[in-house]
Amino acid sequence: MAVAARRNPLLTLGKYAAILFYLGFALFPLYWLLKIAITPDKLIFTEGTAFWPSTTTLGNFTKVIWQTDFLRFFWNSLIVSLVSAAITTVIAAASGYAFSRFRFRGQKLVIALMLLTQMFPLLMIIAPIYKIVATLGLLNSLSSLILVYTAFNIPFATFLMQSFFDGIPKDLEDAAMMDGCTRFQALRKVILPLTLPGLGATLGFIFTAAWSEVLFALMLIRSEDSMTFPVGMLTFVSKFSVDWGQMMAAGVLALIPSCLFFIFIQRYLVQGLTSGAVKG
Amino acid sequence: MTQGTQAPGATRAHQRFVWSRLIEPYLYLTPALVLIALVMLIPLVVGVSYSFQSIMLLKPGEAEWVALDNYLALWSDKKFWISLENTLVWTFGSLFFQFTLGLGLALLLNTRFPMKRLFQAIVFLPWAVPTFLTALTWAWLFNPVIGPLPHWLAAIGILPEPFNILGDPDLAIWGPIAANIWFGVPFFAITLLAALQSIPSELYEAAEIDGATAWQTFTKITLPFLAPMIAITVMLRTIWIANFADLIFIMTGGGPANSTQILSTYIFTTAFKKLDFGYASTLAVALLFLLFVYAVVLLALRRRFVRL
Amino acid sequence: MKKLIAGAGLLAVLLGSAVSAETLKLVEVITSPERTEVLKGMVDGFKAANPGVDVEIVSIPWGQAFETVATMIAGGDTPDVIEMPDTWQALYADQLMPLDERIAGWEHGATLTQKTIDMGKLANGKITMIPYGFYLRAMFYNKKLLAEAGVAEPPKTMDEFMAASEAVSKLDGKYGYCLRGGPGGTNGWIMMAAVMNGSNEFFTADGKSRINEPGSVAGLQFLMDLYQKGYAPKDSVNWGFNEIVAGFYSGTCAFLDQDPDALIAIAERMPAEDFAVMPMPVGPSGKAFPTIGFAGWSVFNSTEHADDAWNLVAYLSTPESNSTWAQRVGVIPIHQGADQDPFFKTEQFKGWFEELNSPDYIPTIMPTYLEQWGYFTSTVLKDSAQEALLGQKSAQELGDEWAAFLTDEYGKWKAKQ
Repeated sequence: MAVAARRNPLLTLGKYAAILFYLGFALFPLYWLLKIAITPDKLIFTEGTAFWPSTTTLGNFTKVIWQTDFLRFFWNSLIVSLVSAAITTVIAAASGYAFSRFRFRGQKLVIALMLLTQMFPLLMIIAPIYKIVATLGLLNSLSSLILVYTAFNIPFATFLMQSFFDGIPKDLEDAAMMDGCTRFQALRKVILPLTLPGLGATLGFIFTAAWSEVLFALMLIRSEDSMTFPVGMLTFVSKFSVDWGQMMAAGVLALIPSCLFFIFIQRYLVQGLTSGAVKG
Repeated sequence: MTQGTQAPGATRAHQRFVWSRLIEPYLYLTPALVLIALVMLIPLVVGVSYSFQSIMLLKPGEAEWVALDNYLALWSDKKFWISLENTLVWTFGSLFFQFTLGLGLALLLNTRFPMKRLFQAIVFLPWAVPTFLTALTWAWLFNPVIGPLPHWLAAIGILPEPFNILGDPDLAIWGPIAANIWFGVPFFAITLLAALQSIPSELYEAAEIDGATAWQTFTKITLPFLAPMIAITVMLRTIWIANFADLIFIMTGGGPANSTQILSTYIFTTAFKKLDFGYASTLAVALLFLLFVYAVVLLALRRRFVRL
Repeated sequence: MKKLIAGAGLLAVLLGSAVSAETLKLVEVITSPERTEVLKGMVDGFKAANPGVDVEIVSIPWGQAFETVATMIAGGDTPDVIEMPDTWQALYADQLMPLDERIAGWEHGATLTQKTIDMGKLANGKITMIPYGFYLRAMFYNKKLLAEAGVAEPPKTMDEFMAASEAVSKLDGKYGYCLRGGPGGTNGWIMMAAVMNGSNEFFTADGKSRINEPGSVAGLQFLMDLYQKGYAPKDSVNWGFNEIVAGFYSGTCAFLDQDPDALIAIAERMPAEDFAVMPMPVGPSGKAFPTIGFAGWSVFNSTEHADDAWNLVAYLSTPESNSTWAQRVGVIPIHQGADQDPFFKTEQFKGWFEELNSPDYIPTIMPTYLEQWGYFTSTVLKDSAQEALLGQKSAQELGDEWAAFLTDEYGKWKAKQ
């Protein structure tokens, strides 16, 4: 297809137009978000549609960082997202491996169950989960969020990991097992190192999902000490006024980890999915 | 692969069969299954049981079993049917554009051009943005006082004058759909790009030698290879979108006049404003049922058409 | 193995962030960073006066407060003391500790205004909360816009109000009324209905709703006219609190009906000489019926520290604490004589005090004792009102729909008395 493009200048023009379009489409809202974050309060409405405010300020950022509990929320979110991602990845690696390497009884049922968990609105189970968490005495603690986020993300993470494993030939473990390893040892020593990109990609994907979760964070966490940043941002919306500048500044700061993470892993996502992609 | 002992072959083979077919896989699966059962399936069963009861959140002691009453009420509930219709518009509206734009992006990324790595990293960013931030930003973009979109739309003639489409019952749903498209394109782009990259290049070379046009190459080689991935991603994404209430909730709150009320947001209001958990569960079960039927149909279709 | 122990240790530490022996849990629901600061200050004063008692403040964002608190309580995580808005009172009344005897024996009980006591009893006849202040509706108006539109005097009657809105709407990109068509717009509709009907009674003697009487329907029609004639911005059909206030201080619309707490947000963003506050316009009967609301402090029955919880509420409600709180959050204080404070004697507060002191303005108390009032306000009224504004329903149909729901609810309430 690249060959065809070289021959037809119109196609090339179209291609670069498309590139610009996608670039603009992706970046414009982010740019607008940044613009509001650096606009001083008084100008937010009067210069609303300007492309760049007449005076810029970093005041919103300094206020958010130094005068609110935002840093603590940020830290809590970081802990919850990293730990959830790590635990999910480990568990999903195991289940993804099972799906990739084995043909076993009840396989279809397990897949159906996992699919089922993606299908119903999570609000439905808020009350029962609340009771379960309360019974376990985990209310108001970050562990409750970790527990819940891990469970939600296992199905898709399993799908990802399965794809990555599919891309590694079975012969490798078979060879290792012939040399006397148990399957588990073969997995640890031979296969896992090869799926590091896959592990990284899954980690990043789940981190991104956990990072922005708002509903359960709101319901399961009460005290300010354990709040995650999405809930913290909601406190900028009071009954009286919305501190838009500060809220957007907090938003920009919050974007940074998840975007960084994602930029880093997206290459591996594509790579990993490629090898196993045609199956499913 | 034998163990080299003189034990009766049949028993040995049977033991190995049991191990590798029944026990070993489940050892790997156990952590996942336990967590999912505890945190999702048990609550789901409890949640479904609520649909057969009349339960108000603050009066759990007064709950009573009403069998199918809630389901009968569902049938005659006007708001349910409106929400259902909106859910269809919302889901398929978002899906269509996300998919086509995502496919276009994937095709683009499958070619060569300078600084592609940087470009790729940037265009995938929207997926990493927290959804409520996406909702807020897009709500701003559509507000004529503080955003440019209404003015642009008026300039090119789509709108007669710059106003906030989020306040117009006929147009409001397109606001969240636009935000959803922005958010969801990377998902399709990543998965479809992966699928594209797994197509052996010899096929393309052979096609070129045979003199196939770009269109023929696309329909006869690319699409069939993409089909399995398309089937899975479309199914998964449809289910996610149908359940995805965040964007609508923040941008329009279901209004004006229920024009953007989808099943998910309706469940939320019933559960948390009216505090009627019984009926809310009924709505959720209805949604679950519809999605289940959809998944089954899609999988059956896939089996039909993908006989590679 | 090490990781496992470390993980378990982390878990234990996180679990251990639970309560100590004498800790009161205080939940605030109308939350903003400034209010939390003031509250913390007051609570610190309480802790200093009561060594051995600790107070944990839980701040919940208002936008999600209703469902968050409902989930908390349904899950068994009930606070000791809670900030109770008037609209929630009826829902929780049975779970709240009656404070009648405590107030009778309290040194500051005698200086509470009669209104305070009456409002505290509204839900079930027992004092289940001590209000901390009152919200009273008055009309903000943009002096600059009125001058530009050639309106010499701010409107005093409903007819003048409609005319003034029309005049301002003729200006390019400007509108007369900041209509709250979205969440929280109940008060506007009720006030309009009442002012045109000449009465703010919700129910007749035999329990029928008055919202679909001809006068009330005329009031509903008034608001619909404002919107449909273009005297309110087109997207105001979905506007909530933030949007109407922003609409006002950005100079998009000239009239805004709001409570004193909006003053804080507006004064920060508009120069004082550009706006003022006047009483709500009067109707054909020469009277207006601004809505009055309140919020206060309640103690839950399930508390294990009844005495300490009461002491906290009492501390927050002393004349001194209450005056500080009322000034910082923008409500009318609860003790007799408090409104003589110079803080409340400015031009901006004039509108509200004029309403309080003149017989032409009769405060309207919402029927928050109806159990489903919260649901009515947040969902039933909002959805149907939006349909009416958009021309999908007539004013009479709207009134009839509300009347049916309210008469039904009233019947249920009466039966429980």
